[in-house]
Amino acid sequence: MDQWLNPYYLQIVMFMLINAMLGISIYFTLATGQLSLGNAGFMSVGAYTSALLSLKAGLPLYLSIPAGGVAACVLAAVIGIPATRLQGIYLAIATLGFGEVVRVIILNMKVTNGALGLSGIPALSVQIGKQLNSLGLGSGLGGITVQQLSNLSVIGLLALVVIFLVFFALRLRHSRLGRAFAAIKDDEHAAEVTGVDTVRYKLLAFFMSAFVAGIAGALAAHITFYIGPKDFSYHRAVEILLFAVLGGGNVIWGPLLGAGILTLLPELLRTVADYREMIYGGILVIMMIFRPQGLISEETLRLWRSKLFPAAKTEQEAVARRSAG
Amino acid sequence: MLLQQVVNGLTLGSTYAIIALGYTLIFGVLNIVNMAHGEIFMIGAFVGLMLVTKLQTGIFTALAGAMLTGAVLGYLLERIALRPLRRREVSHLAPLISTIGVSIFLESLALKIFGPQAQSFPPVFSGQLFELGTLKISIIQIVILAVSFGLMIALRFWLAKTKMGKSIRATAENLETAGLLGVNTSQVIIVTVMLASGLGSVAGVLVGLAFNAVEPTMGITMGFKGLAVLILGGLGNITGAMVGGLLLGIAEVFSVAYGESSYREAVAFGLIIILLFIRPQGLFGSGSAQGGR
Repeated sequence: MDQWLNPYYLQIVMFMLINAMLGISIYFTLATGQLSLGNAGFMSVGAYTSALLSLKAGLPLYLSIPAGGVAACVLAAVIGIPATRLQGIYLAIATLGFGEVVRVIILNMKVTNGALGLSGIPALSVQIGKQLNSLGLGSGLGGITVQQLSNLSVIGLLALVVIFLVFFALRLRHSRLGRAFAAIKDDEHAAEVTGVDTVRYKLLAFFMSAFVAGIAGALAAHITFYIGPKDFSYHRAVEILLFAVLGGGNVIWGPLLGAGILTLLPELLRTVADYREMIYGGILVIMMIFRPQGLISEETLRLWRSKLFPAAKTEQEAVARRSAG
Repeated sequence: MLLQQVVNGLTLGSTYAIIALGYTLIFGVLNIVNMAHGEIFMIGAFVGLMLVTKLQTGIFTALAGAMLTGAVLGYLLERIALRPLRRREVSHLAPLISTIGVSIFLESLALKIFGPQAQSFPPVFSGQLFELGTLKISIIQIVILAVSFGLMIALRFWLAKTKMGKSIRATAENLETAGLLGVNTSQVIIVTVMLASGLGSVAGVLVGLAFNAVEPTMGITMGFKGLAVLILGGLGNITGAMVGGLLLGIAEVFSVAYGESSYREAVAFGLIIILLFIRPQGLFGSGSAQGGR
């Protein structure tokens, strides 16, 4: 038991969940067929906002973390409103530039401590540990120390956020909003002609993406206790993009799988860690040539569903027939 | 003082213009943004540096060598990352993503080969200052200005007068129609990508000379500036790229001279975010809100 609950493993699980959130954040913009390369920027805004609010203003974490998401959303409005009126390519470049501007500003501001970054950020696990202590669990629970217990609670919390986001994304798919997103992704002009307010929906997707990235950044800050401008560079943005490209950007499970694989891979293959970026670059090119839809696509899901639940499939078809008729 | 800043700005800006021309040519013909351009620029800078330091060649040989390397890289880029995607229907984001892949690959390759520290050109190239009244201009600045303006004029002429140049412009106008009219479009595409990459590599050497520093990360920072100029001038617009580059150079030099120097890197994107609000199609873009399509 102790072997499995060592802090290193627990930390990897936490990073995996954070990366899953980032994967979901890029999924939202990809769902409208847009590419946002600013997720690292939004992540940093969320991280710094939450870290500073809790460090300097003493705000409790349950307020500062959502504030990080809101701050990211506000900045998304500044670049999103002009950029989404144009071709998709503008958003990619404007968000890329946004990430760079944010990095330069953070590097030069006093309050963010420049290149040195912020350390001693209130830790989520410590806060939860205190709560556990006050609940009388200071000595642990059934052989699990209080430290492990609080780390597990953090994982539980992160998992809850991810599950909520997945549930949200799945529900979204069959809602009016999700159908509008899909229509825009398929053909923006056709969607506009049929009366979909493309600018509004594209913006909405962009805001959702920024908010999730901000929250993920804020959570990451309170898990690692340290953030610096280097953590949110262009490479980070590319890594987030890779989650969706490798796993598949068309279905919510894709970015999750991508985040899982790409978090575990460098840990498992320590020897190739030096060549990580090169491998990432290669994966991007190869995926685009051979499987642009990613490892998981809608066809893969359908195939598995019909293999695993032959009965459910006929039921689904019946539902589809009823709703069509 | 003011004139001095303008000259410095023009020198810097002319290199930006050359970088942006590479983006613009490819965008014009293929309608994609080549995210690997910055890294080809960086490799060009390293090739130029190696030729000068290791083989003791002159600066013009180094420029030619860099251009050749850039063209070869451009050929490989087109063959590996762009052509396979053109064969079938893929989302318009696919080439953007695959060139991002190439850029990351090249950057880490350069890190492996050349190491992370900045390297500089031998001092032979930086000396001499000419004084014209109060204006000081270094030999390096003269080389940079001459080479980049020379290239810009040559490119303009080439695009306007030669058969290949006309084919490129026809393909940029409409790929299918150009193909129907007998233009060998796949050849045009290869030539365009090679030309753009060659220009990018030359710009790499020029920028390496201007800042007297060559490092693997310069591809990202300068590539971003080229992208900013691409939007500033209007997507796919050659004149826009030239003027936009010069404007950005001057704006940056002035922001350093009269403002906060540490924010210099943010000037480019500050400019385009403002521009996107006021004139989203770029300074020289066509009237339609779709940008330079």
